Amino acid sequence: MTELKEIDLRALATGSKRTWDAFVVASTPLINAVVRRSLSTYRLSEEDVMDAAQDVYVRLCANDYRLLKTYDPARAGLSTWLAVVARSSAVDHARRRRHGTTPIDDVPETALAIEDKHVEKLKIPDGLLTERQTLILKYLYDEERDVTEIAQLLKIDAQTVRSTHHKALLRLREHFKEEAP
Amino acid sequence: MTTDRNLKTDKELWQSLATGPVASTSVSDLDFAAWLEGNLSETEAARIDAAVSSNPELRLAAMDLAEILGMPLPAAPARMTVRAQALVGFEAERAVARRGWLAGLFDGFALPRAVMAAATVVVAITGFMMGGGLGESFAQEKNAARTATVTTSQNANEMNSFFTGDGI
Repeated sequence: MTELKEIDLRALATGSKRTWDAFVVASTPLINAVVRRSLSTYRLSEEDVMDAAQDVYVRLCANDYRLLKTYDPARAGLSTWLAVVARSSAVDHARRRRHGTTPIDDVPETALAIEDKHVEKLKIPDGLLTERQTLILKYLYDEERDVTEIAQLLKIDAQTVRSTHHKALLRLREHFKEEAP
Repeated sequence: MTTDRNLKTDKELWQSLATGPVASTSVSDLDFAAWLEGNLSETEAARIDAAVSSNPELRLAAMDLAEILGMPLPAAPARMTVRAQALVGFEAERAVARRGWLAGLFDGFALPRAVMAAATVVVAITGFMMGGGLGESFAQEKNAARTATVTTSQNANEMNSFFTGDGI
């Protein structure tokens, strides 16, 4: 079986049937996994999974392969780019399917929650934390993710995640200690 | 434990703070993919970091995709593959579709059939005209009707003279 990285992208974009068939065989396991994961929170049927996966391929070959031609191998691997495209396509599909027909019991409570505007929060000044530090703190505390997961996502050591977290908190403590009366 | 207690305090500190509003920046699929692979420069990565940290959906997407891309994948249903493959046809099929229906008419057997039909019509019309056409046909019909009328009135006169004469 041909692997995704072996697919001749030029032949694919010119409409070669053989290349398209090989591309589909090589990419369906990935598209299938991404679409299933993306739709898992929407509780849609198996038929919807099939349709959402088909939507991904329709997008790729529509308008003379316009989307496929935007892919640049110098920027990212084909698998990663396809996974991103598949996810956004699947989420769009799910939103179209559920538009205006979601029973209130099916909506997660977090989506219905209203933020308590009366709780005064201290604002972190711009530039106090780097974007990377903010992202790591959000993953750790807002998303309650594990250090290992964050390290895997950001392609860095777990130790780097810990030290970034540590430095960020030192900065925050230092800043808000100075501000305290 | 000390570490747990510290972490809990850190979490409380974080939750009592608010990050500033981040101008919503659109992230292209290719930029997001490059960010997931760690291929971006520090400046480019910081822009995506900001977009991801300010958008819960992007944070979830990033985690999901990183996990899927790092694990062995099960085979997809055969029906999914077959349906996707059917989206692109062979070159010959697409060539016909591109030329349109008018050009398609003259492909294969369509042209000989059209020629035969035209020839048949020409022969039929020629034959009809040689037979005198519609004018001749009407004239014959009219003449026949006149002859029939004359014959009827002649018969009536004979009957009258029979009854008015000596008769039987």
